[in-house]
Amino acid sequence: MRKYREVMRVYLKAQLAWRADVAFSMLFTVSKVLFAWLLWGMVFRERDTVADFTFHGMLSYYIVSSFLHQLEMSRGISGEISARIRNGTLSNYLVLPVNMEGYFAAMEAGVVLFYLFFDLSAAVVWVFVFRIQLTFTHSAGLFICAMVMALMGLFFMVQLNYFLGILTLKYEEISTFLMIKDNLAALVTGSLVPLALFPEALVAGMRLLPFYYVTYLPSMLFTGRCGDEAVRGLVILGAWCVLLQGVIRVTWRKYRIKYDGVGT
Amino acid sequence: MKIIETRKLSKTYRRVVRGEGLRGSIRSLVKRQYESREAVKNLDLTVEEGEFIGLIGPNGAGKTTLAKMLTGIIAPTGGEISVMGYYPNDLENEFKRQYAIVMGQKSQLFFELTTNDTLGLFREIYGLSEREFRETKAYFTELFGVEKLLDVQVRTLSLGERMKMELMAALLHNPRILFLDEPTIGLDAVASRQIRKFLWEINRKKGTTILLTSHYMEDIRALCDRSIVINHGTKIYDGSTEALFEKYQKERQISVSFRQPVGEIVLPEGAAVREESPYKKVIRIRKEQSGELLQRLMEYHPSDLTVEEDEIGRVAERIYAEGVLGQE
Repeated sequence: MRKYREVMRVYLKAQLAWRADVAFSMLFTVSKVLFAWLLWGMVFRERDTVADFTFHGMLSYYIVSSFLHQLEMSRGISGEISARIRNGTLSNYLVLPVNMEGYFAAMEAGVVLFYLFFDLSAAVVWVFVFRIQLTFTHSAGLFICAMVMALMGLFFMVQLNYFLGILTLKYEEISTFLMIKDNLAALVTGSLVPLALFPEALVAGMRLLPFYYVTYLPSMLFTGRCGDEAVRGLVILGAWCVLLQGVIRVTWRKYRIKYDGVGT
Repeated sequence: MKIIETRKLSKTYRRVVRGEGLRGSIRSLVKRQYESREAVKNLDLTVEEGEFIGLIGPNGAGKTTLAKMLTGIIAPTGGEISVMGYYPNDLENEFKRQYAIVMGQKSQLFFELTTNDTLGLFREIYGLSEREFRETKAYFTELFGVEKLLDVQVRTLSLGERMKMELMAALLHNPRILFLDEPTIGLDAVASRQIRKFLWEINRKKGTTILLTSHYMEDIRALCDRSIVINHGTKIYDGSTEALFEKYQKERQISVSFRQPVGEIVLPEGAAVREESPYKKVIRIRKEQSGELLQRLMEYHPSDLTVEEDEIGRVAERIYAEGVLGQE
C-alpha cells in the first residue's frame, strides 16, 4: 500500500506546483455558488418549495452535488490511457512493479485530495459570504453512509474510466464510448437537474445503475433526504464495483497482448 | 550464468492498410484490410550475466521490438523467451523489480516536480529500505555529479542533465539488467561522453548486464564488447564489436603537413586525394595499402602526420548495406 500512498502524494504535490492554477481554482468556486444563488433565487421568488426542496435545501443540494461532481475527475484517466496506448507511452507504467489500475486510482486520489482541501475551503468562504444556510443531515449513520457512498462512487468512476481506457487495445478509438458515458453520467448523476424532478418510474430504473449513487444519492443523503435508500445504494454500488473489477480483469488479460508499444 | 535466452523468437505486427482517397476510406470502413510485418524473425539470443551488448540496426530493423519483448512490454508471436527465468509478458512484479529500462524518448520523471520526488516514489515502488535508498542515491549523485540538481524542477533541466536523472531513477533499485534505448539521442558530445562513462562504470563495478540500443556507433564501440546487428528482423551478426569494426573499417584517412612546399606525390593505386595544398595533403586509402603510402610520404620528410580511422557513420552504412556477416 505504501507505494500507492506515495503515488497519491506525488500527484498531490504535482497539483501544488502551479500557484496560479491553485489560486484560480479556488477563486472559481464562487461561480458555482453565485450561479446557484441567482438561478434558484429566481425560481423560488414566487414559491416556497420546489419538489419538496426549500430555497436553502435546494442550494445545499446544488452546492454539495456540484462539489461532488467536481471531485469526480476520473474522465482524465480514460483519455490518458487511451492516448498512451496509441502513442506507446503506456510502456512507462508496464515496466513498473505496480498494479496499473491501483496506480491510476492513487493518482486520481492525489488530485481529488487537492481539490477536496482547497476548493472545499474556498466553498466554505463563499457559503459564508452569501449567507447560505446549508442543511445537512443530523444522523451520523446517514452521514457516514453518504461519505462511504461518495468514496465508492469515485472509485467506481475510476474503474469505469480505466475500463474504457483499456478498450483502446481492442477498438483503438474510444471517443464514442466516452461520449456515451459522459452523457449518461451527467443525466443519471443528477448533476444538472435533481432527479427528484424526473418521473418516479424513470428514477426507479436509474436506481439500478451505478451513476445514481455517484453524486445524486450521496448529495441527497448529506442534505438529509432519501435515508431509506442508503443501505440499498451501498449494496448496488458495491455490486457494480465488484462486477466491473471482474470485467476489467478479463478485458486486460484478453487484450493486453494487443499492445504494440509503437510511437518511439 | 545465462540471464537472457531466446529461441526462434518472432514478432509479427498486423496493421490496417487503407486505399487512397475517400473511396479507400469508405471501403476500409466496410471491410478492413490488414497486412503483416515481421519485425523480428526466428531470433536466437543468449546473454551471460554482466555482459555489455550493443544492439545495432537501421530504423525499423527490429531492435526496439526485441528490447520490448525482453522487458515484457509486448508479447512475442512465436518462439521461446526467458529473462532471468521469467516469461517477460507475464509482467510479474518480481520480474519487473530486477530490471530497468531507459527509453531516450519516454521519460519516467515528473516534469513539474523535482528528481527527489521521483526518486522518493521509486523508493516505495521498488520497496527499498531507507539505508539502501540513501546509499544508492549517494553513489549515483556522486557519480553523476548532480547533487545541486536534485531539488530543481525536472522541466528546467537540460537534456543531458535530464538523462542523468533518468539513469539515476532507473538504477536506484540496482537492477540485474539495464535496457537502454537510445540514451544519448539528442545529447551533445560532452554529455554523451559523460553518459558513456557512467554506463561503463555501472557495468564494470556493479556487474549490471546492459543491452544498449543505439544508432550512434560511438556508443557501441566505446562500451560494448559484444555487438548484435539486426536488419529486417533478422540477426546478421553476433560477436566481438572490435572484430565487427575491424572488418568494416576499410579505409584510413592520412593527413600530412610539410615545412617546404611539396608538389604532386605519386600515390599507390586506389588512393584518393581529399585536400591538397603545397604544405598539406589529405589522402584516403584502403586500410591494407596505408603502410605503403606512409613509406612513400616519409620520403618527403613531413613535419606532421596523422592517421584517422574510417568515420564511424560510414562503417554503419557498410554493415547494413552488405548484409549477412555470420558470427565471430
